[in-house]
Amino acid sequence: MSYTFKWSVLWTGESGRWLLQGLLTTLELSALAWLLAVALGIVAGALRTVRFAPLRWAATSYVEFFRNVPLLVWMFFWYFGVPPLLPRAVQDWLFNHGAEFWAGMLALGVYHGARISEVIRSGIQSIPRTQFEASVAMGLTTFQAYRLIILPVALRLIVPPATNESLNLLKNSSVALTISVAELTFQTRQIETYTAKAIEALTAGTVIYLVLCLSIAMIMARVERRYAIPGLIARVGPAA
Amino acid sequence: MKKTVAVVLVLAAGLALAGPVVAQQDTLEKIKSSGVLTIGTRTGSPPFAYINKNNEWVGFTIDLVEMLVKPSVEKAVGKSIKVEKKESTPPTRIPLLTSNSVDLIAGTMTDTPQRRESVDFSLTFFYTGAQFLVKKGSPIKSINDIGGKRIAAQQGATNAKIIREKYPQAQLREFPDQPAAFQALLQGQVDAYTNDGIQLYGLKAKAPNPNDWDVVGDFYSEEPYGMAMRKGDTKFKAAVDAGLKNGFESGKYFEIYDKWFGPKGELPYPMTPPVKAYLLKQIGK
Repeated sequence: MSYTFKWSVLWTGESGRWLLQGLLTTLELSALAWLLAVALGIVAGALRTVRFAPLRWAATSYVEFFRNVPLLVWMFFWYFGVPPLLPRAVQDWLFNHGAEFWAGMLALGVYHGARISEVIRSGIQSIPRTQFEASVAMGLTTFQAYRLIILPVALRLIVPPATNESLNLLKNSSVALTISVAELTFQTRQIETYTAKAIEALTAGTVIYLVLCLSIAMIMARVERRYAIPGLIARVGPAA
Repeated sequence: MKKTVAVVLVLAAGLALAGPVVAQQDTLEKIKSSGVLTIGTRTGSPPFAYINKNNEWVGFTIDLVEMLVKPSVEKAVGKSIKVEKKESTPPTRIPLLTSNSVDLIAGTMTDTPQRRESVDFSLTFFYTGAQFLVKKGSPIKSINDIGGKRIAAQQGATNAKIIREKYPQAQLREFPDQPAAFQALLQGQVDAYTNDGIQLYGLKAKAPNPNDWDVVGDFYSEEPYGMAMRKGDTKFKAAVDAGLKNGFESGKYFEIYDKWFGPKGELPYPMTPPVKAYLLKQIGK
């Protein structure tokens, strides 16, 4: 009475199409959320290091509020909490046009934005204060100093932890299935529903996540090498 | 190469389940040595299995296990045992069984031919069919009215599958659990929630204003509920079935039914004669 594997369930019937659909939804959801998270992360991360206190407080509040509440709660917040604030007609339109996808994207992007901003802040703060002072002495404004000197260096320094966050974001996109987004994990469960072969379906999902994450990690390692500033980062042993 | 791939796949499967996929032992032996029968059941499916107002984990299916199955298993192992409950949901229940985390799924699981390829089912202990829960006055009166409408279903449930296959014109939204699906209905994210009729009556009864909601439509699926066990474990299955059979014969089953679904029960749902005949036919009556 041991478990009999039946791997063929993964390519018979509609399983293949479902996995592909799930993969595409996962990629779409993660890519959009990642763009939002990086944009929010750069802005909040930079604002947390500026002189003007109210901006710093605003950024700190955003970070601490969003990263310290579980992602699942944010999913429910954007899907169940926000729509009732809108007029009924707008709600209906949204619900007919993939509200769950956009709620999931916002939840994922805003939550990870808060986490990425901490990565960016640590990058900025690892740059000696004198660089900023030198930029200002050369006649740059604070905004120019950030845009032309501080951020370009900081973003290079933080590639490894930012990769980490990006991989987390991709994997966390699976939480969106709680608000009925048909992403990859959702589809593996779908296959389980149809075939009652849970282990095979979970394995397929696991392998796809693994391959995705490994590819991203490899691409980011190349990015890291390609954009490293010689002399700025001490390397011990072979690079990445 | 092929071998490496196979090893990786098996490892991945093991990790995914957070438990090893090992050869399974005889369930009765396991219960005999541990003194515990572990069941996987629901926490939010009144009145079958749910957490009540006093924070107790109770329900019709749990009573069936405690009062009918447990004595029968005790007889089979020759000692008194304890029943332990773990939460199981449609997506987790078969993995919980196959990984030996639980011995018996006793919740609201429909006995289907596909599932029978992976698990064994006990005698049917409840019979219902899928319907729709809608806001009073909704244009949805039956499955013929769902075209273009947003319909919530529970992921992993048989009725979601029927809608996807036979009514693709409906916009299906699948939620992992009943509370989320019901919340979506309450707030208007969806126009109707479909599940087994009896569960919809349960939700309606627990809703803030029960009279605002209607259960509509004929049964568009057949949902015989059974308790699921690991496949091929004939001795354990015989013990579980003997307990249920004894309940049908002695009338104890109908007393338990009355406690939960009778006029004074948690959810009045009188047993129709065809359902009673269906249940008794299983034991040759």
